[in-house]
Amino acid sequence: MTLPFRVTVLSAAALLGAVVSAPAQEVTFAITAREVGTPSYNPITATRLNSANSLIYDRLVLQDADQSFHPSLAASWDQTPDGMQWTFKLRPGVKFHDGEPFNAKVIEWWVPKFAGTENADTVAKVDRVEVVDDLTVRFHMKAPDPNLLFNLASSFMGIPSPKAYEALGDKYGVTAAVGTGPFKMEKFTVGQQTVLVRNDDFTWGSDLSVNRGPAKIKKITVREIPEDSTAFLELQTGGVDLLYTVPVDFMPRLKAEKSVKVMTIPGTEIVYMPINTQSAPFTDIKVRAAAAYAIDQKSIWQSLYGGVGNTANGFLISSLQEAKVDPKFAISYDPERSKKLLDEAGWKVGPDGIRAKDGARLQVKLWTSNGTEFKRLVEVVQSQLKAVGFAADITIFDASTINAQYKKKTEHQLAVRSYSWTNADIIDWFFAARRAGYPNVSLFDDPKAEELNVTAMTKSRTWDERVANFKAYHEYILSQYAFAPIYEPANVFAYSTRRLKLPETIRGTRLTSQTILDAQVSN
Amino acid sequence: MAIGTALLSAARTPRGAPAAIVLVGVVFAAIFADRLAPYAYDMQSLMQANLPPSAAHLLGTDEFGRDLFSRILHGARISLGVAVTSIGASVALGLVFGAIAGYAGGWADRLLMAVVDLTWAFPEILIALVLIAILGPGLGSTAVAITVGYMAQFARLARAQIIALKGETYIEATVGLGAGHAHILLRHLVPNALTPVLVAGMLATGDAIVLEATLGYFGLGAQPPLPSWGAMMSAGVGQMFLAPWVIVFPGLAIAITVVAINLYGDALIDALQIRNRLREG
Repeated sequence: MTLPFRVTVLSAAALLGAVVSAPAQEVTFAITAREVGTPSYNPITATRLNSANSLIYDRLVLQDADQSFHPSLAASWDQTPDGMQWTFKLRPGVKFHDGEPFNAKVIEWWVPKFAGTENADTVAKVDRVEVVDDLTVRFHMKAPDPNLLFNLASSFMGIPSPKAYEALGDKYGVTAAVGTGPFKMEKFTVGQQTVLVRNDDFTWGSDLSVNRGPAKIKKITVREIPEDSTAFLELQTGGVDLLYTVPVDFMPRLKAEKSVKVMTIPGTEIVYMPINTQSAPFTDIKVRAAAAYAIDQKSIWQSLYGGVGNTANGFLISSLQEAKVDPKFAISYDPERSKKLLDEAGWKVGPDGIRAKDGARLQVKLWTSNGTEFKRLVEVVQSQLKAVGFAADITIFDASTINAQYKKKTEHQLAVRSYSWTNADIIDWFFAARRAGYPNVSLFDDPKAEELNVTAMTKSRTWDERVANFKAYHEYILSQYAFAPIYEPANVFAYSTRRLKLPETIRGTRLTSQTILDAQVSN
Repeated sequence: MAIGTALLSAARTPRGAPAAIVLVGVVFAAIFADRLAPYAYDMQSLMQANLPPSAAHLLGTDEFGRDLFSRILHGARISLGVAVTSIGASVALGLVFGAIAGYAGGWADRLLMAVVDLTWAFPEILIALVLIAILGPGLGSTAVAITVGYMAQFARLARAQIIALKGETYIEATVGLGAGHAHILLRHLVPNALTPVLVAGMLATGDAIVLEATLGYFGLGAQPPLPSWGAMMSAGVGQMFLAPWVIVFPGLAIAITVVAINLYGDALIDALQIRNRLREG
């Protein structure tokens, strides 16, 4: 077949790349699999952003790995006890890449820009922005939002230059992206690469970096490599200097490489199996529970992911307080319970091991999107479901069409998918009745859940109240078996020690500009 | 020479003999996969993933700890089954269209050949991809796609044979004796045109296995956990460095089978002495 040939050509190309390698202080990073194909660097309207985004834009606030908040473009902030007003003091002397000043007027322009976009929820509770003075803004709230700082720290909250944004219209983020970050976007070819050059005027690094001034790296080319094995070969042969994500399969081989350092930081992702609660037989909660208890999280974690990361037993990443639910709600592998539930629901084991009820076989649909990891996972899930008596038919969709298929609402039953988010409000995103289809793939619509949703989303006044409310909402979703948790990946990245030196401790929730600012380049 | 005798004499040639042995073996494996396979093809054992070949697992295990040997045997059933059925259907359809076009001539010929040439203008893989995009992935659509993709060449070949035979004296004599069209077509023309088309069909089966494997490689053919050789190779890509046998053995199975089909087909052409007639298509 053509494959070995392709590998030869690629390795040859990689070797060539190493020979004519970039001059000093220029490095090549690679983003892989899930980040490939991000269509734009417009943080306001984007639904997906890649890792290069944080190098171009700064946010008001940054979040560290321990979930604490740190000043970035906002030097300090303050809220009134009723949560109805937030005052932000902005950092002085900040300039956009196009020379425009960053000040209170920018924030006054920026916040209303989110209205009508997919990211509108982030600032939906801000009623208006008042310019107090050139470097002070006050948010007047419609309702208290204990989650405001988290929202402001999300990757969609990079602040673009108003002048460039308005001038470019729809093309903003593609032909140009102008922020205040440590790197300027020189060129962006969708699906291929982004060339970034150092912002020499940068002096406003946050306290998450040791270096507060301009970066030490002069130029970064961020290449998009869809295939894992190609990305791995490129790192091995020096074609790229850093891989933003490393598939677990390649970890042992990368660790064996002397000149490659593999780093693991806590993950931001959950892999799970949504269950369409409105499609028979999953309208029966016992059948849903049986499917959920059939998933063997531990063996998946050990054998498919080599024990890297964690098993998942709920919907949220383990570093969130709302993830610490009462153990009786946590979902973990229990095949006996699963079989018992199916017996109770009237599904009896047939001669081929597949259950049936009133002459109908327990034949269900199991979807996933194209990609090595999901394709592997879905086959394991299929086999584990078969062990308790489900016959699951797999369909693999293109990543770009599967959401449209979910939106038809009637076609899907089970699916294997993942999300990346570091806040409990993701439960609202995936289970609120008003989003049935996609993102609410489970088509979950339950009066009690809606009530808990309203409480968690709008009635929480303080952070602690919000945690308690979201924990209750989380526990209820678990008790209804609207999904089955599978796995919580760790973020694994790797870099070539021949070219780069990164700090030992990675600050922030991901590998972002704070860490790259401290990166040293060797010649 | 009758085709039955030719099959045997082809198997006695130096090229044909090893090929025939391999083919009989592959067909045997396909038919008796259930009995021969030491394990069920979908039996996972995650703790025994990616094991190298050993006594317990002759060809090793894949990423889910499934026995590769068992999967290749079952894969033979699917790959061969799909290729043979779809080429069979393709030959049958090609014969019908080709015979009607060649015998009737005139506008019927022009119309039928226009349709056939239209499908011939595109590579088989392209037609197959378009059809699967419409029908959705799966074994059934793969078979339909291969059938349609290869039909043109059989229709063309059958038509050329019929046109050549139509002018023979014995056909004119039959017409003179008052035979009807159906009698002439079915009793005289089609049987005489059959041999080259069947041999072309056999050669195309090798290509069809490769096409099935290609579609399977893209995840468009057999859906998991059904093993098809192409899909197995595709799954092996991720393990290429870790467990090369996962991709190598299905690849070898495809290569050996296709080479055997081609060698045997070639020997058969010589035995039948129809090399010139095959070119008429």
